[in-house]
Amino acid sequence: MKPTENVLEIKDLVKDFPGVRAVNNVSFDIKRNTIHCLVGENGAGKSTLIKILTGAYARTSGQILLNGEEYNPHSTRDAKQKGISTLFQELNVVDQLTVEENLTLGMEDTTFGFLRHTDKINQMVSVMNDIEPSIKPKQLVSSLSVAKKQIVEIAKAVAAESNIIIMDEPTAAISESEIARLFTIIKSLRDNNVTVIYISHRLDEIFELGDYVTVMRDGKHIETKPVAEIQDRSELIRMMIGKTVFEQYTPREDDCPDTILQVKNLSNHRLNDISFDIHAGEIAGFYGLVGAGKTELARAIYGVDTYEGEILFKGEKLKPSPDKAIAAGIALVPEERRSQGLFTILTIRGNVPVMNMGKISRNGFINDATERNVTLEYVDKLKIATNSIEKEAGKLSGGNQQKVVLSKCLFADADLLMLDEPTRGIDVGAKSEIYSLIRKLSREGKTIIIFSSELPEVMNICDSIYLLYDGSLKATLRNSCDCDSEQILHIVTGGE
Amino acid sequence: MTTVKTESLRLQFDRSASVRSIIKQFYIFVVLALIVLAFSVLKLDQGGMFERGHFLSPDSIINLLRSAVPILTLSGAFTLLMISGHIDLSVGSAMSLSAVVYAWMVLNGYSFLPAFVITLIMGCGLGFLNGYLVTKLRITPVIATLVTLSLFKGLALLIVPDGLSAIKGSADKVMPDWINYYARREVFLGLPWAFWVAVFVIVLLTILQRRTVLGKYAAAIGGNRLAAELSGINAVKMVWLLYIIVGFFAALAGLARASYMSLGDPLSGDNMELDCIIAVLLGGTAFSGGEGSVSKTVVGALIIICVTIGLMTVIPAYWQTVAKGTVLITAVVLNHLLVQDKVKA
Amino acid sequence: MEAKEIKQLRKPFMTGKISDESFITLFMIGILLIVFAIASAVVPNFFTAQNMLNLVTNNWFVIILGIGVTFVLITGNYDMSVGGNIALTGVLSVYFCQGVNVSQNTLANGLGLPYPVAIGLALLCSMGVGAVNAFFIAKLKVPSIIVTLGTMMLARGAAQVITQGAQRNTSLPDAFGVLGSLGIPGTSIRIAVLIMITLIIVAYIFEKKTVFARRIYLIGANPEAARLSGINVAKYLTALYILSGLLAGITGILLASEFKAGVSSRAMGYEFDALVIALLGGVSITGGFGSVLGMFVGAIILSVVTSAATGMLLSPDWQFTLKAIVTFIAILSQRFALDKRKS
Repeated sequence: MKPTENVLEIKDLVKDFPGVRAVNNVSFDIKRNTIHCLVGENGAGKSTLIKILTGAYARTSGQILLNGEEYNPHSTRDAKQKGISTLFQELNVVDQLTVEENLTLGMEDTTFGFLRHTDKINQMVSVMNDIEPSIKPKQLVSSLSVAKKQIVEIAKAVAAESNIIIMDEPTAAISESEIARLFTIIKSLRDNNVTVIYISHRLDEIFELGDYVTVMRDGKHIETKPVAEIQDRSELIRMMIGKTVFEQYTPREDDCPDTILQVKNLSNHRLNDISFDIHAGEIAGFYGLVGAGKTELARAIYGVDTYEGEILFKGEKLKPSPDKAIAAGIALVPEERRSQGLFTILTIRGNVPVMNMGKISRNGFINDATERNVTLEYVDKLKIATNSIEKEAGKLSGGNQQKVVLSKCLFADADLLMLDEPTRGIDVGAKSEIYSLIRKLSREGKTIIIFSSELPEVMNICDSIYLLYDGSLKATLRNSCDCDSEQILHIVTGGE
Repeated sequence: MTTVKTESLRLQFDRSASVRSIIKQFYIFVVLALIVLAFSVLKLDQGGMFERGHFLSPDSIINLLRSAVPILTLSGAFTLLMISGHIDLSVGSAMSLSAVVYAWMVLNGYSFLPAFVITLIMGCGLGFLNGYLVTKLRITPVIATLVTLSLFKGLALLIVPDGLSAIKGSADKVMPDWINYYARREVFLGLPWAFWVAVFVIVLLTILQRRTVLGKYAAAIGGNRLAAELSGINAVKMVWLLYIIVGFFAALAGLARASYMSLGDPLSGDNMELDCIIAVLLGGTAFSGGEGSVSKTVVGALIIICVTIGLMTVIPAYWQTVAKGTVLITAVVLNHLLVQDKVKA
Repeated sequence: MEAKEIKQLRKPFMTGKISDESFITLFMIGILLIVFAIASAVVPNFFTAQNMLNLVTNNWFVIILGIGVTFVLITGNYDMSVGGNIALTGVLSVYFCQGVNVSQNTLANGLGLPYPVAIGLALLCSMGVGAVNAFFIAKLKVPSIIVTLGTMMLARGAAQVITQGAQRNTSLPDAFGVLGSLGIPGTSIRIAVLIMITLIIVAYIFEKKTVFARRIYLIGANPEAARLSGINVAKYLTALYILSGLLAGITGILLASEFKAGVSSRAMGYEFDALVIALLGGVSITGGFGSVLGMFVGAIILSVVTSAATGMLLSPDWQFTLKAIVTFIAILSQRFALDKRKS
């Protein structure tokens, strides 16, 4: 039977989560043996789509055809067996084993359990060799750089005879020369009967690598086109952000003269020599895409990660530890709600007062009534949808969980509130509530820093916008109604 | 600038890593040599190092190796389990229970082969239970095996009739002589069957660890369980199997102990799990799993035996516990220094 | 916000849901009653006032230990050193106040310090053991199960060295046996039991009402989030291990006073019993969940089981097996009950 022209056909795919339609009737085809890029901002639905393809999520409705046949994987292993391998950002190699051992993991030839060195191994090693000869099969994977570990994963996928390899932001953590090498490999994959689905924010990469590109926005499919037919970056950018009218941003009346935070030459494993000043009372936004260094910056300021350089808060040097930061008046809403921000097995009441226990206690003894009232207050203020403050925090919806984390940080009475991806995975209604809240806090005199990969969010509420790319601060601008969002996207995707 | 920085960081890291890995490979042999040396130079005024009464005399070495039989039998399997990231604190009690059961069978007329085989099958059963609790009921290994420790110990104590301290011969019922052929009767080079079986077991487990899927998958599960499962490895089945294997060898060790002492002592395996942990730590196995080596654990086991036996000649018995505690803490510190999580460049 | 408004909000929000910890404690009280009923039916003379009193008072030492162990478990760690700590503290309390150069026998000679000083120093040592634990666990981040097994051996080993493997029980000042024998006149309730009850009450209030305790639960529930919420995890772990050491020390001194001897083999296996009663009481080893009250109920359950076994003339050897079976049943039934509650 002749192989179909399209290796994947996606028809009217829908994925709903409680309160949110993450994938909204998406339909497009992926041609065999091409490099097909998938782009769109955060929240556009790309990751959800990929998770459905790899069997991590079940679809709500719609159809997927793989090589012309119904495709409905019920697990990642299932997807792998059907020929779809995925390279995630968290590397799936075993550091303590050698390259050869990783390549053959799960696919060994054995006699009564004894590992045999057969032709299969030689074949895999030669696949590895063709791709990247500098990796020796007997090396421990732990001694390899991230880029080389990725290559091992690619080789493994090829050796497993995957005919579709999905790569999710593969260049986020590797150097430029390594990126060039990766691209050579990807192209040769395509030339050797593999279809590559490539997800990236870095638009230059799309132009360099892609045969086709699919743009998604707000869960919907916008367009699928051959890359050759796209004229320039601006066209691609326009497809990504569409004609979204940003909510009217109101410029501040007062000028915010006092500096509250001064960052000087901040560097660490991910950040390069970042310096800026934040003024008291303003809303600042750090915008950049995946891997730009936003979370690393927030964590450095908060004192969670080590760094070189100096940070002054209210004129005093900030000591690098979270409890000192909180005491000085800084609070952080972390990026990962469930694993970093919330105590999922505790109740709402158990979560909210955590960062400022002094206010609900006297001499170390908690006042139950105060604790309940405070929690009720925040539930009301932030409109957290629950019928009891004794509900387990882990059982709330994403939006409500985020509101609990917000309450927690607001209760800390910080002068500087930092929010890392404040509205990720949250429905539109909750989003706008959070924005109003941020504006209100600013009017009350709080300083707010938002770290976000959603441009509308940043354009919506921030007074000053800082653009990050690859660990460096690329540009700073004052927000105004006629900011050029195309220009902004150009900078955060690596343009100069 | 990023590229240069990352590269130079990585070079620095590589160089220090290779020095560290050399130390890691060989330090344990150095430690063993030092310990043997330390004990051998004691009492030199009373004659040469290799003569009667000294640490390195033939008698002493034979005694040492015979005492080492249980831990040599058991520590290989224990290492494999630890490599997969799991622990079994019940091995000592499993050993005691096996000793008691074996002695009971011998005392009550079973001949060698049936008694031997039944004991080993029982050991597999004990391991099966541990595996079930950990992999199917998902009780954390420490708690699950602490509780089975108590269970097995209790069973061993119950089998021994009231009033007796162990299953042993008496005027009415004599313990057959042949019971200690396995662990005492000299077969080759002055050493008994039990020892040579232990040697075989060590070789077998070293091969298993290095050259079979069992060893590889144990390392994969301990190193990155998700990656292992994504590659198609059935982690539940593997870990369960490892617990059964540990149970099997715990039974073999207990059997050897019973043979050596000609009785089944329900306390004979006490603290064996601590010895195993020390051996494994000294041998450089990471507590969280992923890496480890049966052969190095064996060297670690020899170190413990040398220290235990050697100290017995030098210090009074009541110093033993402190000594062992010190060795454990030292092993913990050494292990921590060697197997630290490497900084990601 | 107005008090009135808050009151109005309150109604729909306080739909009588008790915390999971309280639920499990109640569940285990239920189990206790069932076990007690079975025991009363099966064992002769079980259902007497004196016996019921004994059930609570016989295990006073494990309960005191259980307080420290429960809090450590809530953070997701173990403390297996408490048994050895008891032995060491008891022996030291004797050694420190034995007469100086009183006899040829070294085991009869001590440092001759006054009794209060002796027990003060002994308590410092017990807290020192806790500090050593804390160093390895909080600072070096070594797995707590291994470290505390090591310090257990060091503590007990030190006790064995000081007593040459036996005990010290001579040339003691008169004050020595006082603590162990004081009690409520006319009853069998000794001061140790009163101390236990006081400590339990204090611990329960501490657990429910203090900021410190709340932070322990936070550390156990999510150490990463705790850190990001400004909790100095190392500091709290250190405090808990020292507390656990202190409680072991108090127990050691009381036991030594009761038996007028510092015995190196004292408290063998107590660390396991403390763990068992915590598990019986619903403490979850995954962290962030559990209550000292539950532990207390667990201790009584254990008491009922073991004394019923004695009453049925089972030999003491049955203890080990019984404890294991009871613990398994408890872990599994608690899991079952919580799952049912959540669905």
